[in-house]
Amino acid sequence: MSSLIAPVEHGKTGGLPAWLAHLAASAANWPGAYRAQLRASPRRTALLSVLVVLVFVYPLLNRVVLQPFSRNVFPLPVPDDTTVVFMLIFATMAIGLNIVIGFAGLLDLGYVAFYALGAYTAAYLASPHWSGLSILLFSDLPAGFPGIHLPFFIIFWAAALVAAIFGALLGAPTLRLRGDYLAIVTLGFGEIVPVFFKNLVNVHFSFGPIQLVNANLTGGPLGINPIDPPELFGIKFGVINGFNAVYLLLAIVIMSIIIARNLERSRMGRAWMAIREDETAAEMMGVNTVRTKLLAFGLGASFAGFAGAMQASYQGATTSDFFQFSTSILVVIMIILGGIGNIWGVILGAITVQYVDKTVLGWAGNRLKDIGNAIGNPDLGQINPSQFSFLLLGVALVLMMRFRPEGLLPSRQRAAELHAAPPDQALGSAAVMEIEEEVIEEAAPEDVEATAAAPDGGAAGEPPDTPGRTGDGS
Amino acid sequence: MDEQLLQTIVIGLSNGLIYALVALGYTLVYGIIELINFAHGDVFMLGSMLALTLLVTFGVTTGTDPLTAIALIVLVLAITMAITATLNVSIERVAYRPLRNAPRLAPLISAIGMSFVLQNVGLLWKGPANLGFPDVIPNTNVLTTVFGLDTSVSITYKHLFAAAVTIPLLIVLTWFVAKTKQGKAMRATAQDPDTAGLMGIDVNRTIAITFIIAGALAGAAGLVQVLYNNTTVWNLGFRFGLNAFTSAVLGGIGNLQGAVLGGIVLGLINAFSDRYLSAQWTNALVFGVLIAILVFRPTGLLGQQLADRA
Repeated sequence: MSSLIAPVEHGKTGGLPAWLAHLAASAANWPGAYRAQLRASPRRTALLSVLVVLVFVYPLLNRVVLQPFSRNVFPLPVPDDTTVVFMLIFATMAIGLNIVIGFAGLLDLGYVAFYALGAYTAAYLASPHWSGLSILLFSDLPAGFPGIHLPFFIIFWAAALVAAIFGALLGAPTLRLRGDYLAIVTLGFGEIVPVFFKNLVNVHFSFGPIQLVNANLTGGPLGINPIDPPELFGIKFGVINGFNAVYLLLAIVIMSIIIARNLERSRMGRAWMAIREDETAAEMMGVNTVRTKLLAFGLGASFAGFAGAMQASYQGATTSDFFQFSTSILVVIMIILGGIGNIWGVILGAITVQYVDKTVLGWAGNRLKDIGNAIGNPDLGQINPSQFSFLLLGVALVLMMRFRPEGLLPSRQRAAELHAAPPDQALGSAAVMEIEEEVIEEAAPEDVEATAAAPDGGAAGEPPDTPGRTGDGS
Repeated sequence: MDEQLLQTIVIGLSNGLIYALVALGYTLVYGIIELINFAHGDVFMLGSMLALTLLVTFGVTTGTDPLTAIALIVLVLAITMAITATLNVSIERVAYRPLRNAPRLAPLISAIGMSFVLQNVGLLWKGPANLGFPDVIPNTNVLTTVFGLDTSVSITYKHLFAAAVTIPLLIVLTWFVAKTKQGKAMRATAQDPDTAGLMGIDVNRTIAITFIIAGALAGAAGLVQVLYNNTTVWNLGFRFGLNAFTSAVLGGIGNLQGAVLGGIVLGLINAFSDRYLSAQWTNALVFGVLIAILVFRPTGLLGQQLADRA
């Protein structure tokens, strides 16, 4: 893929115009680049091409062939359009959370808060909620229609912006915290935000010029509806518009992939990985840890903003019940199962978990019912596998951590870190494993203990006098 | 003092003692292997279900003769503690010990997975509805009936029961950790497992014992939950566990006295918020306090210097 979406080389006079010019040039050049790629690695390129074509044809195929076949001929676990949309919404969130956890190593257990903020931002800007106002922009609604109704392309970015701002706000006080403490603070934040959305319904508040009497700020437990469906170039992408939304989300996921890949390879991406590996060392090398972490939180959160805006606009309604701790955990599970640190892995994780949860289990339940009826044992139909999705997830997590901690589709680096020791040592004798991961990488099996006994250092394998970069504006 | 205020304090204290029992489990485990044991709240939940089942099996109910009831409750307490202790140490064996040297994220994720599994065990076992249990311990006010005071403040036998189970356990635990050889091994392992191992301490055994103690405390808390709050449900462990973990952090994680203090403070915060603010804001307040503590005083009230290692 690297030649299709080349990392941007910022020149001295770079900036947005240069980037756009570069993008245009690569776009014009793509048949040539594709041919070169095909020559260089034919199998990989062919496979990817087929995959890309499949992805774009799939929604159509699903609607025209698979769903009718499943309905009329033989039941297959075919996802409906809403499930496909949510697979992609979760894929967007997984890409964002991967920036926070996978790239920067900041364990965020409250990611759902940003999803909620994105959804409520979209709800505020495209619904009759603020019935006292009538702000219409590029809208075909009659003049004087209650509420704020902005076009989707504004809402989409506004949601991301709000999520990013809150991400950075959450990041700011937690900069001093590491590891588990950070996880708990983010978890708390993720619990607080939905409580606010749920409870701010009859607000009496008076502070200086601000006078609120019985103000309904969030719609309370009922949430906000109806929210305008996304509309671009006159095409609507709501839940009633069939698979239109699937294509909109494919575009969003592709955009997210491009952003995330470019971030990963940027100076900031390298800084994230540096603080993930060793924050103190990164700081000594001149990485501005404050800015780096805040950007990780903010940029990571903005993807949840995209996802939230899509959830609200696509479904036309949003309530605080969508945004529970289990959703945060679900996204974490997706990126862990898929392969933390690898964008393709986390997308695979998101799609797999959603697919199994929303389609396969329900399908399996119906098949159990069929089998039960066929063999005259209707009790079989009483078993509802969807009820046990979290049981399956739990078992999957425990087994995964034990036998394949790097995930289904791991990043190369992480797999190497986790599997460098010979398999019998990696899983078998726990006694010799009091060693830093990096040491395992280099040590031959027989001198593991010797290396372990050596003092710290020597593991990084870098000359100590490498001049650090200091021009990071610290 | 205002009687309403006193009543709120009584409620807060007795709730706080139950939080403290569960919080001790979190703090013991965190202190020794630096793992937020997400499954701990669910062990507590299963303990409460087990206690409820046993009480029903033994026929303990509202009208049971007090002496018989006490004897049976003690028996149920012992059985529940033994089973939850076994459960907790098995979880450690299956889900955490193989990951002793994995990256830090691995055991945490494994704990979350274990938590889901246990919740679903509870769901499969007892179904999704709230389980009720009759008042075995009378709700009569000790102050008016026994001491003959003229007051509307109510300290019931239930409040006394919560204290009667919790306080001795806390004392025994403190003694165990501070005075016994095994307790010393636990403290050493918490400080530095590698060095402790070099000094001849069997680290794996010490960690297993820590999980046994934590599980037993969770089981005791489960029994108190059933007899004090008269209810349990499959997803009780998550919310309660978060509160208990907050208590542990509040007091300074890894610190036993801190966990007890944190539990009591959290119980009081809960009671005051329910009484004077509004029950729907209690959770937000609890997490607000948690965040404030972690941001401004990460070592907790009775801080232990673990923040840098975390």
